[in-house]
This record gives sequence, C-alpha cells and structure tokens, in this order.
Amino acid sequence: MTLNVTQEWQGVLDKIKNWARINSPWAIHYNSGSCNGCDIEILATLTPRYDVERFGIKLQGSPRHADVLICTGPVTRQSRDRLLRIYEQMPDPKFVIAVGTCAISGGVFQGCYNVIGHIDEVIPVNMYIPGCPPRPEAIIDGVVKLLTSLQAVPESATA
Amino acid sequence: MDVRLETAVSLTKPWATETAEPAPYRLDVSLERENLLPVISALFAAEWGYLSAITGVDLGTAVGVVEVLYHFCEGPCIVTLRLRVPYDDAQIDSVCSIIPSASFFERELSEMLGITIVGTPNADRLFLPDDWPLGVYPLRKEYVMQG
Amino acid sequence: MMTVAAPTTQKSEKFIVPIGPQHPALKEPGHFEFAVDGEIVTDATVRLGYVHRGIEKGTESRNWAQNLYLLERICGICSHTHAFAYVLGVEQLAEVEAPPRARAIRMVVAELERVHSHFLWLGVGAHEAGFDTLFMYSWRDRETVMDLLESLTGNRVNYSACVLGGVKFDINGEQTKGILEGLDFLEKRTHHYLNVIQQDALFLQRTRGVGVMTQQQARQLGVVGPTARASGVARDLRIDAPGQHYNDFNVNMILETDGDLAARFVVRIRDLFESYRIIREILSNMPEGDLVVKRMPRKIKAGETISRVEAPRGEAFYYIKSNGSEMPERIKVRTPTLCNMASVLTLTVGQHLADVPMILVGIDPCFSCNDRSVTVTQPSGQREHWTWEQVRRFGIEYYQRQGGQ
Ligand code: SF4
Repeated sequence: MTLNVTQEWQGVLDKIKNWARINSPWAIHYNSGSCNGCDIEILATLTPRYDVERFGIKLQGSPRHADVLICTGPVTRQSRDRLLRIYEQMPDPKFVIAVGTCAISGGVFQGCYNVIGHIDEVIPVNMYIPGCPPRPEAIIDGVVKLLTSLQAVPESATA
Repeated sequence: MDVRLETAVSLTKPWATETAEPAPYRLDVSLERENLLPVISALFAAEWGYLSAITGVDLGTAVGVVEVLYHFCEGPCIVTLRLRVPYDDAQIDSVCSIIPSASFFERELSEMLGITIVGTPNADRLFLPDDWPLGVYPLRKEYVMQG
Repeated sequence: MMTVAAPTTQKSEKFIVPIGPQHPALKEPGHFEFAVDGEIVTDATVRLGYVHRGIEKGTESRNWAQNLYLLERICGICSHTHAFAYVLGVEQLAEVEAPPRARAIRMVVAELERVHSHFLWLGVGAHEAGFDTLFMYSWRDRETVMDLLESLTGNRVNYSACVLGGVKFDINGEQTKGILEGLDFLEKRTHHYLNVIQQDALFLQRTRGVGVMTQQQARQLGVVGPTARASGVARDLRIDAPGQHYNDFNVNMILETDGDLAARFVVRIRDLFESYRIIREILSNMPEGDLVVKRMPRKIKAGETISRVEAPRGEAFYYIKSNGSEMPERIKVRTPTLCNMASVLTLTVGQHLADVPMILVGIDPCFSCNDRSVTVTQPSGQREHWTWEQVRRFGIEYYQRQGGQ
C-alpha cells in the first residue's frame, strides 16, 4: 500500500473500500445498560421477518472486524470503560449508531445513581434512532440513512 | 389462618419477639439478630418454603437503623422475618451455611446498605461498579441522587 | 460459590475461564468466571452490574405514576410483569381493586408476553446449541405475537398496558378475532417445535441429561418458574397465589420430572399450550365493565405490601413501602433470574465446559438484572479471555467432534 501508489490509484482503492463497506457493513452490538427492549428489536431485525442480512449487514462478535457499533441503553458506570474499549478496538473508519431513547438521552433512567449519561457523552455518535424501543423498520431506516450518507463522503473527498 | 402459616407460627415461636398478620397469607415475625440462624434452620429443617428475597429498608438517619427482611414463600403464604440492624453495629450473620443460594441476596444487601455479612462465602460486589467509592451505600436514605 | 469435588480422572490442568461481558446474539453483558480442571468446571462465580442502573433508588425520587414507567423498563422482555406486580402492590396499599375487565385484559397481556418470551428463549437456546435454523424459525413465528401485542397496545415492547387502578386500553371484537387467529397459527407451530425438541437426536444430545437438577436440589436452591417445574417442583404463582387475577380463570400446572435441560425446554413449550388455552378462555368469557377504577389516590396510604407475579421466568417479587406521600419510601424488586442464577452456577460445577452456555441459557437468564464474559486462568497465573462466542463455539465444536467419533 505504501509503495508508489499514485494518487489516482489511491482514489480507486478508496472507492472500492467504500463500495465494499457500504454494501456489506459489519456491525457489533453493545448494550451499556439497556432494558433489553432495544436489544431484542435489534435481534429482530436479523431474523426472517426483517432480515437485514440480505442487505449485507452482518452482526458479529469482534470489534476488530466491525465497521459499525450499535449501542443501546444509557451508559452505566461499570460499562463505560468497556464501551470505550470496544470503540477503540474498531478499525477506522468507524461509525456509531445510538439506538433508543436511553442511548440518546438516558431516557427514563436519567438521574439513577449508576447511570452516567448517554452514549455521545462517551463516544461520538453518527446516527440516532429514537424510540422506546425503535421498531425494526426504524432501525433499518437508520442504518440505510447512515450508509447513504457515507456514499456522499468519498465523492467529495476524492473529487 | 392458613395451616401453613400456623406451622410457621409454631416453628418460629421460640424466638419471636412479636408476631403479626398484616394481610391474609402473610406473617411477620420480629426477631433479635442473634436468633436469625436458629429460626432459619428451623424453617429449613421443616422444609417450610424457600427464601424468596432479602429486603433491606433504611429507616432513616434519625432512627439509625436498617431493617432487614427475610421473605420466605410457600404457595400463597409469605413469612417475613424482621430484624433491626443499627448503623453503628451493622452486622448480620450469613445464612449461606443453611441456604447457599442466599449468597447473591447477601452480596446485594451488603453493598447497597452497608451491612457486613459475617461468614458469607463471597463478599465481592455484585451490582455496584468497581470504581464505586468505598463506604457509600446507595440505598441508605442519606445517599441523595443528583439529578 | 459452592465447591464440589470434580471427577479427576485425567491429569488435571486448572484454568479460570471468564465469559463475557458481551455477546453478539444475546442482548446483555455479564461476566462469569469458571474455574476448570481439564474440561470440567470446578467453581463458578459471577459479576453483574454492567446493566445495573440503580432503579430501586430511582423510584424513591419519582412519584407513584412515574414509577410505573420506570419499573416497566427494568426489563424489555417481561416489562408487563414488572408493571403488573407494581400496580398490584400499589393497589393493595391504596385499597382499591381493578375492575374485572381490566383484570382480564392484564392477564391476556401477561400471557401474550409469556408466549413472546418463550419463543424468544427457544430461539436463543437453539442458537447456543448451534441450531440457527430453529433460532430463525422461532423468531419468525414470534413476530406473530409481536403483531398481536402491537395491535393491542400500540408498541411491540414496553407495552404500558397497566395503569394504576386498571388498564389503558380495551380489547375489541376485531382484535379478539386477530388474537384467536394468531393463536391458531402459533399452536400449530408449537406442536412442530415440541416435536423437534423431543425427537431431534442432535438436539437431544445437547440437552438430555445435561445440567440435571433433582427435585431435592431445586427445592433447596429455591429456584422458581419453569426451571423449578422442569425438576418436578410445583411452583407457579398463577396457581399458588392467584391474587385477584388468576382466581377468575383456572390454570393447569405444567410439570416435568427429568430436571435436565431437555425438560426445561419441554416445560416451556408445554407452557405455551397452556397460555394459548388461558387466553382463549379469557377472550370468550370477557367480563364487561370499566377499564379503570373511578378514583385512584395520588398519595398512597402508608404501609407496606408484597406482591408477586409469575413472570415467564418465574416469580417476580415486589416489596413496596409507602410513607403516605406521593413517592414510595422503598421498592424492592427481586427478579426471577437472580433466584435461578445462583442455582445455575451450582449446576455447572462438575459439568463439561462445553455444556456451560446451554446450562446458563437453560434458566432463560434475563440480564437486565445480570452480565457475561469468560477468562481462563492457568495455574501459572496466565490468563486467557474468552468471549461468550468462543465458549459457544467450543461447545458446538466439542459436540461435533463427539458426533464424528
Ligand atoms: S429506549 Fe426504551 S426499550 Fe430501549 S433500552 Fe431504553 S427503556 Fe429499553
């Protein structure tokens, strides 16, 4: 890669990477203190009725293989470090989706002693999906919107 | 009174300082702290129900006492053993030697209300985070949440 | 936790295997540590708290009505159970009684929730065993229940069906028809699943004789719900302590005696049939009348009460104390998983590490009350960290090797 790659080639490579990323983003899911409601709905999006896998979206276990981090729930004291560590282990470029009211604002758990806040107080968030919990359709819509926004990036960057 | 409750009354009688029936199918037995283990052994030996929960209730700084309730359930009947644990001598015997599965309840009780459980097999924190300050007990009334 | 001497036939090598705290297919984090000797578990402990939010304290600074919504969000799987137990307790304290129609509707939602929860668990259990086809099928069918719940309540999860003194919505004729049709479909599917879990040889290899809990053990450990009923302990609050609710309609006790994982699967599936029957019975005998009591006080009389509800996973226990103000003095919640968790840790001792994921899943752990991750420590002090996924794979591959022999 660091060989004498011309700018032109670099551009083509970037395009290919971006194309691959958009067409098959791998996601990892972390629950930093949610009630499970959001998590069930995320799981539901993978199962036959909604089946996001047909769009190439794959949920898997290791942060090192993930492009997208899907977060649910408010952030508890105990899970804060874990959330940060997962985020740091992910290769660049990485994207974060906050699913559910709790992830966005702390929701009903605001002010509880073990809740330190919402996701974007700990890591940057690219996409917010509101709802308690959001319907699977809403989650899919959020993911699609995120992917669409990615499409715009390289064109402006490489143009 | 339900026969099962009557059995419970007679089982706990030797140690009870007060017995009440606050609602149908419920029995409240007040005890001295020292007598916890004998009472529980008696219930256990008679196979009376199972330990459903341990509740700690802080009565406030004015009283300086935490009330600890052991709830035993059998069918519709609930027997509650009531002990008073003063702040300045916040200790209670572990019941794990008789009921091993009480370990979780005891860990919760001790971290939330600052009660030392004497002889519990595992005194690690169960719910509170590792960086939670020592000596702060969230379910004490004096602990006020910000927010 | 408890220590039982493990069979030491081979030359032993001791490890500690920590599992967790995050797992792709399951929803919540948790951290377990298993000490293993060879492949046999010799000790197990757990560290929860990744999703501990401090709800019990939170209730003390919210009013009685707000708490309903907070407590409902203890768990997104059995949200109605929590709301149900809470309103029961508060109504007892306030000395009001929900009208009969409201009681019936609460039960319908409770049973639908049980159906959704058991389907969810069947899928997760199948996934842990490596049967992803069954996982996908059961979750596909689960969508039927979700549709029914949505048609009734307007939300798929966290339905907010209960309000203090009654329920929020009515069930009309069209909805009834929808529910009955949905149940017919589910019943057919459930027969199929019962068949699979009782006859599929590969599935039985992972479940039969695994994680056995005798009746005696179940009694002593104080397990609740389907986990207890699979060991022949007749413990079902819908029958034992029907309260004002299940009095109106009778429920049959579903018991299995084997006490192994297979029995825990069978009990839950048979539970489903019972739930279908109860829902049908309620719908065809729906009492008329109001949905909410005329007057529900804003301040609740001082006093204390205990309310218990049979959640999909077993007994949910609520202790509520009021000081006569608008906010509760103390609310204690003991979820069924906490009860069953201790038992399951005891059960893993002496078992194969390969069976651990299945045994844990066997109690249908609900981790909003709990967490998971694995660490392996060798006697040299070397520590390996396993994710839940690795342990799951280990289990699946172990049995594949076994099958190949
Ligand atoms: S947004 Fe709602 S469903 Fe999601 S974690 Fe929070 S309370 Fe649960």
